[in-house]
Amino acid sequence: MSAVAGTAAVALGLAAAVLGMATLALGLKRGDPRLLKGGQRYVWIVLAGAVLAAAAMQLALLTHDFSLNYVARNGSRSTPLLYTITGMWSALEGSILLWALVLAGYLALMARHFRDRATDPIVAWATLVGLAVAAFFFILMAGPANPFKLVSGPVPTDGPGPNPLLQNHPLVAFHPPMLYLGYVGFTIPFAFALAALVTGRLGEGWLVETRRWTLFAWGFLTAGVILGAWWSYEVLGWGGYWAWDPVENASLLPWLTATAYLHSVMVQERRAMLRVWNLSLLVATFSLTILGTFLTRSGVLDSVHAFSESAVGPMILGFFAVIVAVSIALIGWRGDRLRSPGAIDSPVSREGAFLANNLGFAAFTFVVLLGTVFPLIAEALNGERLSVGEPYFNRMTAPIGLTLLFLMAVAPALPWRKASTEVLHRRLAIPAWIATAVVAGLVAAGVRGLGALLAFGLGTFAAATAARHLALSVRHARRTGRGRLRALTGRTNGGMVVHIGVVVVAAAFAASSSFSEGREYRLAPGQSASLSGHTVTYLDTSTVQEANKTVTRARVRIDGGPVYTPALNQFPFATQAIGTPSVKTGLFEDVYLTLVAPPAPGSDTAVIGVRVQPLIVWLWIGGGIMALGTALAAWPAGRRSRRGAPPAGAPSEQTVDEPAVPVAT
Amino acid sequence: MSAGLNAQRLSWLALGLVLAGALFVGSRGDGSPPTDEERAYTIASAVRCPTCRSQSAADSDAPAAQAVVDEVLRRVQAGETEGQIRAFLVSRYGPDILLDPPKRGVSGLVWALPVAAVAAAAAGLAVAFRRWRPPRRPAPVSAEDRALVEEALRGERP
Repeated sequence: MSAVAGTAAVALGLAAAVLGMATLALGLKRGDPRLLKGGQRYVWIVLAGAVLAAAAMQLALLTHDFSLNYVARNGSRSTPLLYTITGMWSALEGSILLWALVLAGYLALMARHFRDRATDPIVAWATLVGLAVAAFFFILMAGPANPFKLVSGPVPTDGPGPNPLLQNHPLVAFHPPMLYLGYVGFTIPFAFALAALVTGRLGEGWLVETRRWTLFAWGFLTAGVILGAWWSYEVLGWGGYWAWDPVENASLLPWLTATAYLHSVMVQERRAMLRVWNLSLLVATFSLTILGTFLTRSGVLDSVHAFSESAVGPMILGFFAVIVAVSIALIGWRGDRLRSPGAIDSPVSREGAFLANNLGFAAFTFVVLLGTVFPLIAEALNGERLSVGEPYFNRMTAPIGLTLLFLMAVAPALPWRKASTEVLHRRLAIPAWIATAVVAGLVAAGVRGLGALLAFGLGTFAAATAARHLALSVRHARRTGRGRLRALTGRTNGGMVVHIGVVVVAAAFAASSSFSEGREYRLAPGQSASLSGHTVTYLDTSTVQEANKTVTRARVRIDGGPVYTPALNQFPFATQAIGTPSVKTGLFEDVYLTLVAPPAPGSDTAVIGVRVQPLIVWLWIGGGIMALGTALAAWPAGRRSRRGAPPAGAPSEQTVDEPAVPVAT
Repeated sequence: MSAGLNAQRLSWLALGLVLAGALFVGSRGDGSPPTDEERAYTIASAVRCPTCRSQSAADSDAPAAQAVVDEVLRRVQAGETEGQIRAFLVSRYGPDILLDPPKRGVSGLVWALPVAAVAAAAAGLAVAFRRWRPPRRPAPVSAEDRALVEEALRGERP
């Protein structure tokens, strides 16, 4: 039942995407507004196909329809309801389905947003590109990644359930969808970028229209990456949250290029410069989401998260090649129109700082991309097998990260065009002194380590600049009688809130990677061990049979207070037990417990892993601040028309860079 | 004005001195030499867990990773240097045991390429800024320009 319905739904989505593309192409060729309007309506049929396919998959999972290969491999009667539902994105085929569903949703939102401008060629071309991307994902589902394939042979009566790591923590219900909302969201600005290239309307109009879409996608991706780190910390049990694993890198790469774009786009709006660069960043962001999917889904780099080897790899790689080739060809073809006459007067200016920022983000992206694919390159070059891991990434990205923190501190204080020493002194002296005082105070308190001190100092500097901006904005709003909330909304103010979130994350990252302590202790019941001023006392271990797993739980008392229970979960069909850490979370440090080995038969000593890591909780708080800042930045700042965007070529939203009031310092 | 400027310079100079002093003290370590366990942990965190892909031996609790950590600790206690221990691990597990690839040979590219790319890009930016710098003197006015102005002015006057 579900198989038939699902297959039909996929066919419906694919047919609608292809027909929509054909209708739009014909309409664009003939300049026929009726065809353009009609073509846009196919988006809704694509959405219907994707929703029906997802519903069929959910029905199959919930009714344990093991005649479906996907359900037979990723479902089981004993899996709790939540993980049965999230089973849809626990393996390759279902993830492609989720991708198609999110993409169809975005395309429908785009069609709704631009419904009054369906006949505008730039909108028609963007819709066409979006439908082409959707068609690709439906082709994957109709062919090599068919989620509705039937099992060959007899229908099994039960299945193994999802990958044990993906049914061990409720975050699996939030992290992948959030990540996909981010990845897929970049399709819209990419589609408009290509549409602008094709139509030759390369002014700043299309940028203004897609800016907010990029911002939303960026916000979701940020939340997705942070949730992924949290999930890693809570589930994987090795005490860390970021391992520079290929899957993690794949989510970081588009985030880096999108962040670069969100900054450099302001130079284009203000000065009509960097057109080719901004187009390239949008293309890079979108193609990196596809490349990341290839790297993680093709099995080419095996990692803890990669699901399986499959025939999908070559198709995704081919799609990636097509995107890059078409984009480069279009940019080359429009080269003459993209040339901008502008000039940057001085490197010590806002636009100069944005250029440096982009250099930093491009370098960051390059390092992460090179490090991720280098094992493949080296193997192809001379058959040498080697690994590129955490020490490489940490050493290469630390200087870039510190440079970016410095720019974050200085850039918001720089005026456009040119800065005088007078202005620099007035705006930067107090933040710089606050930062110096913090560094000196930390050193006096006994904190050691150049990297961490630089991170704390530059972070304080950046946070102080951002706070100064927000304080001035609030004061300005109060004087002019605007609401206090208004002082925090809009792109620049929201951006400053995001900056504060970034500083919090960076400080937590620096602290936890510099000052963590970890050890394993073999303890008999009642025995204690101490690490970094904390005492852990092992009490006992018990084993409980749960619906979908056997749980071995140790009871460990921390500092004579509450009892924590790190556990090992043995899932049927899994060879290795999955650990569940137990964490005593604090504002200053976390005590992270793992059950490394339960007592062996005939013995009563267990091996308990203890890690004391500072400031971990601030990673998640910083992530929350970044998400809040993104929401504030996306909040309409002024009296903008509610429907549609300003006409192409209209001046962009005015932002308060520096309130026009005398600044007393 | 110049007095104000001097005061500004002095304040930044003072800030630089305080900061440099604090960072100098802060980067000197806490005095005590690392214990054998700490040294072993440092070495093991730059080595891959043999049965996983990107986790370090120090971070993994897979049995094979434990074996590596124990071996490293034994050799640290026996007085071997970091280089000797890493060389031993490569001879036993192959070069892909190292999470930071050697800086020589093909794998040196992964270290050198980003540095070269950033240097090239920074040089390119510097050249661009030099080219963008507004000319000191206004460009000489050509006869063509004068003719254009003349024409425009003639149009203005009745």
